[in-house]
Amino acid sequence: MSNDTLADMVPDDDAVAIDFALGALDGPSLRAAELRLRRDPEFAADVARWQADLSPLIDAVAPVAPPPAIWASVERELFRGLVAAPVSSTIARGVGAAVNLWRGLAFGASAVAAVALALLVARPATPVAEAPPALLAASMASTDAAKSVLITATYDPARGAVILTPSAKDASHGLTPELWVIVGKDKPLSLGVIELHDPQAHRIPQALRSKLTGGATLAISLEPAGGSPTGQPTGPVVAAGTLTVI
Amino acid sequence: MSGALNVVAHLAGIAAGDRAALRHLYDATSAKLFGIILRILAERSEAEDVLQEVYITVWRKAPEFDATRASPITWMATIARNRAIDRLRARGSRPTTTLDLATEVVEPSPAADALIDTANDARRVTAALDTLDPRHAAIIRSAYYEGLTYEALAAREGIPIGTLKSWVRRGLTRMRGELA
Repeated sequence: MSNDTLADMVPDDDAVAIDFALGALDGPSLRAAELRLRRDPEFAADVARWQADLSPLIDAVAPVAPPPAIWASVERELFRGLVAAPVSSTIARGVGAAVNLWRGLAFGASAVAAVALALLVARPATPVAEAPPALLAASMASTDAAKSVLITATYDPARGAVILTPSAKDASHGLTPELWVIVGKDKPLSLGVIELHDPQAHRIPQALRSKLTGGATLAISLEPAGGSPTGQPTGPVVAAGTLTVI
Repeated sequence: MSGALNVVAHLAGIAAGDRAALRHLYDATSAKLFGIILRILAERSEAEDVLQEVYITVWRKAPEFDATRASPITWMATIARNRAIDRLRARGSRPTTTLDLATEVVEPSPAADALIDTANDARRVTAALDTLDPRHAAIIRSAYYEGLTYEALAAREGIPIGTLKSWVRRGLTRMRGELA
């Protein structure tokens, strides 16, 4: 093996980080890399380094002035319906203090505290309610005698998605697994059909996100193709678990 | 891009809910980001949609931005690229893009200087790419600027996908060696 070949070897881990940072992945390999990014800080750091290494390339991109209507749309989307509230002077003082603090600390290690403070005072009325950042997880055990963990579900409110990580063999038996949330004694609410053979991020409809709170139960039933025809579980429940804040 | 400090200050203002700061940031950076997005999407109306999404994302995520860890330009450009690539991938395929790539922005390493001199770095990266086989360097540039998948690039170049991947990965590993 010549030196040249040795120098050309790319470790497998680095290869995926390169692929992801470049944006060249698609489909299942993209989803696998995205999941890994969330779980593996070392991989995330590798991706970040590659993104930083590549980013000077944007210098060569010629700027193109966007049409003025774009700014108007941004403003409308973010601030529509917002009027100057009577409490604005109080808010303004709080904001001013936060900005100064942020600036003071931005180059220090404790910028996090300032950012947290800024968050507290910053968003009096963004049109979309900011979800709490805490993650919720449920280990969903099989409902058979074995009680083995069938799938782990982690809900990220910031993204409105549940990350599902199957940890056992596909138990769907050719049927369609459907995910449900049960709050207290309410009827189960469908969160949509899922898969039991691959890790996946499952987006939760906006209207149902408030149901995913600590103490709520996630369950999976097996349904006919396309999911439950009735809006309630019709097939066997194969796994269930309680969401807890992590 | 000059004025990285200004951009950091605008982001601080945005994090505190200052709308005027968003306007200043938009004025200072939108043409660059629109250029990046247009290279990937080509279709102008789609690129306009994505540009709008990017600034909405920046407004919402500004409190997470940490100037000690990331160059503001890299941070915003990464959001723009990811959003545009996300849109590109969603074309033609079923709308099953379950993950929002823009929320997967990874902050550059702590070593990345907030006041990064992008022009100087651009020269260094260009010089490093120029040491590679010209065809390999051209493919790397296409992948970066156009946001194409390996599959699409391999089809366009008429070479096996495995060959193309190894050109890109080896090329970038060598580029990094040159940068070190």
